[in-house]
Amino acid sequence: MTAPLILFLAAAVIPVFFGRTRSAPFWLLVQGIALGWVGVAYHGLLSGHAFAAFAETLVVRALIAPQLVRLAIRRRSEPNPDLMPSNLFAWAIATALIVLAFEFGAPDAGGHHALTLGVVGATVAVSLMLLAANDSPPAQLVALLFMENAIALFESLLPEPWPLPVHAALAVIYLLTVAVGAWLVGAPERPVATRSTDVRITPEPDA
Amino acid sequence: MNPSTATSASAGPQPAGRVTWVGPALVAAALVAVVVVAIVFVRTSIDELPVYLADRWFVLDATSMLFLLVIDSVFLGISVYMSSRVATWQLSSGQVLARAGLTLAFMVAMNLGVMANNLLLLWAFIEATTICAAPLVAQGSTLSPRRVAWHYLLYSSMSLAITLLGILCLTRSAQLHGLAIDFAFDAMAGSLPLAIDGWQRLGLALMLFGLGSKLGLAPLYSWLPETYEAAPTSTSALLAAVQFNISIVAVLRVLQVFNGHDTGFVPHELLIMGCLSLTVAAVQVMAARNYKRLIAYACVSSSGVIAIGLSVGRAAAYGVLLYVVSAAFVKALLFLTAGRLRAVYGTNRSSALAGVIRVLPFSGALFAVGTFALLGFPPFGSFIAEMLVLSGIVQAGHLIAFTLMCTMLTIIFVATGRSIFPMLWGQPEQHRPPVREPWVTTLPKIGFVIALVLLGVYVPAPVNALLIRVAQSIGGH
Repeated sequence: MTAPLILFLAAAVIPVFFGRTRSAPFWLLVQGIALGWVGVAYHGLLSGHAFAAFAETLVVRALIAPQLVRLAIRRRSEPNPDLMPSNLFAWAIATALIVLAFEFGAPDAGGHHALTLGVVGATVAVSLMLLAANDSPPAQLVALLFMENAIALFESLLPEPWPLPVHAALAVIYLLTVAVGAWLVGAPERPVATRSTDVRITPEPDA
Repeated sequence: MNPSTATSASAGPQPAGRVTWVGPALVAAALVAVVVVAIVFVRTSIDELPVYLADRWFVLDATSMLFLLVIDSVFLGISVYMSSRVATWQLSSGQVLARAGLTLAFMVAMNLGVMANNLLLLWAFIEATTICAAPLVAQGSTLSPRRVAWHYLLYSSMSLAITLLGILCLTRSAQLHGLAIDFAFDAMAGSLPLAIDGWQRLGLALMLFGLGSKLGLAPLYSWLPETYEAAPTSTSALLAAVQFNISIVAVLRVLQVFNGHDTGFVPHELLIMGCLSLTVAAVQVMAARNYKRLIAYACVSSSGVIAIGLSVGRAAAYGVLLYVVSAAFVKALLFLTAGRLRAVYGTNRSSALAGVIRVLPFSGALFAVGTFALLGFPPFGSFIAEMLVLSGIVQAGHLIAFTLMCTMLTIIFVATGRSIFPMLWGQPEQHRPPVREPWVTTLPKIGFVIALVLLGVYVPAPVNALLIRVAQSIGGH
């Protein structure tokens, strides 16, 4: 049980501390696999529902979503910066947030529930940190997906998975969000006006 | 004219003359929706509500009935506006069809979301409306509409992720008490632990924070002015006057579920977010030199008023609902009229417009009426609503919030007047001949004005009964 959780956390923390933007899809893939592994460890694969949830996690979160992110990053044809700016201050804040997140999980019943809560809290904190530290759209998309994965991990704490229609609806919504996000992020940037009031619009466009 | 916009305009797709049928089709769809909702409203007695549909996944109760009436009426006006503008859109036929299709999908998700009887389903429909709206925002005419659309999607997804995290915290709380939570609204209150614990508090706080951000409440409000300004006018109106309401419905549903529980911290959270939003809006309205952005900040301030009203609870519940309904019509009226001004003058800058009332008499007059309604003048519904909210705040003893709200609304009033009134009645530097305005585009706006006056002077008895029933469901009287 501990191994997939550590893998999940590592897939969020390593790229944020040391990774570059183009490596992010690989870490999302690792996180998706870890998420599927956690689901199997909690609920097994015996029921059709559990198997469908496992398959959905692998296909949607480990394969399709990272692939869409990879395509979006490639379409932008930009340099390959760090996912989070590498400096001691950012690292110190991120480390403190991770420690605090595990403190948040500690008062709970203990065992794997406490560890899972700690991993969820740490991943959410790292995602928020990434959003605050990097305003590049690909990095923001990656942070959003880390957060969505953390929520999916939290969902695995439920004694029974949500009903299949609910699970399917959430998966479709997740997939559409990633697809639309990747489409928007993948568009090359045009110069941005410094002040919105400076923009004069062609009369009768599509107002 | 900015060279890049000029180039893109000349080299871009030609007006979509071949698909002009899209406009009337949108109006027909909106008309069908309004007629169906009106027939159901007239034929169903309020005592027969709630009516459950599709194996209890959907419900027609006072809340859903009220908001269906509002969103479908507003959409009818927006569809008429879109229909009148289709021929001038600088979009290819495919893009026009995509815009119309996404708009319809958005409205289907809105209608289903308002009727959802399950918290997770409602959450999914809010996200679905966001997914439909993001590509619409990306069709805007600013220099980087896709970037703005991405910000909109990012903020919305983050807000909804925080809300989902809150829902999971509630589930965890129930699990620790040995209960299985039922997310159907009619059964959820009974499946929650009576003793409120840390997880439940955290869950409720996160849900309200997430939904509040979707309403444009501070601190996560910055997506709202940026999106409303950059999006095509019809999309701005859809977001401000239609999508806003599904987030309000979600907040009302949460308050209905927790009505009777000991949730003392909720009013404080709403009060802080409301006061912060009003303050931010007042400062930004003073700085705004762009009439579309000014309306957007006014939307932030109206979210603030709603949050403060909801924090007061029972004393202001009716006033808040009246305010929400009025705000939908005011925002639609202002954005659609602003779109007309932008189409004629080709700019969003307030200082570039003067003497609008002489060039566009109808649009100028309607913009003036909308501004007065926005500022809470009589005889509009927003006036009565603001008075009821202020009275509720005094009754609840929040005198600091009362003082702050009055101060900020006064600042917003002065700052808005300083920007808008010269635009409408000022002396232009060069003479412009009056522009002919087709009556068909003016008609829905006049309908909005009539609705606003009715809400302020005489609320029809069946609508009043709906408002009272919804107010009672969140603890009002």
